[in-house]
Amino acid sequence: MNKKKYSQWFFVGPHIILFIAFILIPSIYGIYASFTNWNLMTAPNFVGLENYRTILFNQDSSFHREFFNGMKNTLIFVGVSVPLMVVIPLLIATSIEHKKVKYKNFFQSIVYIPGLISISAAALIWSLIFNSQLGVMNNLFGFDTVWTATQPYAWMTIFIMTVWGGIGGNMIIYRASISSVSQDLYESAEIDGAGAIRKFISITLPSIKFPLIYTVVMTTAGSFNVFGQPLMMTGGGPRESTSVLMMYIRDLAFGSGQSIAGMASAMAVLLGMVLLVISACQYYIMNRNSA
Amino acid sequence: MKKKIDVSKYFAYLFLITVCLIWVIPLIFGISTSFRSQAEVVNEGFRLLPVNWIVDNYVTILENTSSAPILRWIGNSLFISITHTLLVVVVISVTGYGYARMKFKGRDVLFFTLLGISFFPNVVNIIPMYRIMDLFGWVNTPWAMIVPGLAGMGNIFLVRQFMKGLPMELDESARVDGAGDFTIYFRIILPLIKPVLIVAGLFSFIGSWNDFLWPVIVFTDVQRMPVTAGLLLLQDIYGNYQMVGRLMGSAILAIIPTLLLFLFAQKHFVSAINLNAGLKG
Repeated sequence: MNKKKYSQWFFVGPHIILFIAFILIPSIYGIYASFTNWNLMTAPNFVGLENYRTILFNQDSSFHREFFNGMKNTLIFVGVSVPLMVVIPLLIATSIEHKKVKYKNFFQSIVYIPGLISISAAALIWSLIFNSQLGVMNNLFGFDTVWTATQPYAWMTIFIMTVWGGIGGNMIIYRASISSVSQDLYESAEIDGAGAIRKFISITLPSIKFPLIYTVVMTTAGSFNVFGQPLMMTGGGPRESTSVLMMYIRDLAFGSGQSIAGMASAMAVLLGMVLLVISACQYYIMNRNSA
Repeated sequence: MKKKIDVSKYFAYLFLITVCLIWVIPLIFGISTSFRSQAEVVNEGFRLLPVNWIVDNYVTILENTSSAPILRWIGNSLFISITHTLLVVVVISVTGYGYARMKFKGRDVLFFTLLGISFFPNVVNIIPMYRIMDLFGWVNTPWAMIVPGLAGMGNIFLVRQFMKGLPMELDESARVDGAGDFTIYFRIILPLIKPVLIVAGLFSFIGSWNDFLWPVIVFTDVQRMPVTAGLLLLQDIYGNYQMVGRLMGSAILAIIPTLLLFLFAQKHFVSAINLNAGLKG
């Protein structure tokens, strides 16, 4: 009997150690570091709210400028890419689930495959496509644009690549949910003379409300961490107009020269506070899912 | 009314075919460029297929083992992703068993506390995590990418859900026969949760193969980095699109492993994504 009492720790204990070492401690230390002038290597000095004051209110500081520019660009990315990454896969899934469309799995695979490609490999290919001298766009369509160095084209390259590589999962979720909508509903709507668009709006959309909310929340959470696409496609340019917050955070903490990890941590915490709201939605959804 | 439905069918096909073309052309373009010489690319401009197929780009890529050792990068990535995936499967099944099948005081409180904390945004952890890696001597080693991810709660949540759906009578009758927890876990539960382990394993593999931000931070040693971080260096190494064939060839080589995995495990991918979203796969 005595043995049984402790055996649970053999099962959950190792993970708790991992959890403490790689989630709990870094989280607490990350918050603490935001109140210090940490340089990543030597012991941090506590400076109170100084970092936050500089970032939020000191108009002359480069950190203030970087934070607001990075936040603005991150919000632009989220604001544009999330709707695209919901609407486009939804249209694709609806088309695939059209009852007279064949080769359903073929279409699905083609759209899903880019999601398996790492951001860096995808970015190399897309950079070449948008390359002003050698690329497809300028050669084939006769554009005369330096895509990644002119706005709004620089953003467009980032969005195109993001949608290309990022909608496969959402599409599969929509497909599964659409296909589980009862056919009776559609048939009775047809008897009432409803067309395809009407059926989509009045039957499909309400029936897949929950998967829609799920994908919106998950896509939003992922989009706030955007980093690789602008880094590799535009390098944050032109004139830092696509520099997102994660790029500044990484540069401050791990860039060349003295690490300014304390300031970077404060920026991370500020971004984290925005993400916390989204995490709350995620937590709510997971619990609802499990009920 | 029949006509109406047919029209929508053609719209659906037209839309799908357009989408598929847009989705496939970048890949074909990348592959075909990797078989063209720089001179041809510059002189002939865009072509879907090369005029002269050459393999020189690949030969040069594979011979460069100092500044851009692509095979080594892929090998590093394979080691990282496979080890990570195997460890994930062990950790989540053992831990999931503890939270789903064992009874102990405070079990659910503990589980939901950890789950709640794990939703704390990841951005805040990254900088201290680097410091921890440095303390462990793991900077520039595969362990920096293999171990920290094992602490995550998402997959444990999934496994726990799945295990809770299995009848408790299984455990009880085994216990009557004198089986201990480890035997029940290994002999009875483990075979039954294979589907959910495949799901978690696939996503762990793809996730760790394609991770970008963390390897870029934690690897500076060219010989030791995974392929995602390596490709970031290539834009500089192959001279800002002066050697596009090599650039594309490297990207294509980096894509092959995950693509093969998809071809062999396509069915699992689809059910995996739906299981994650709480839908029946």
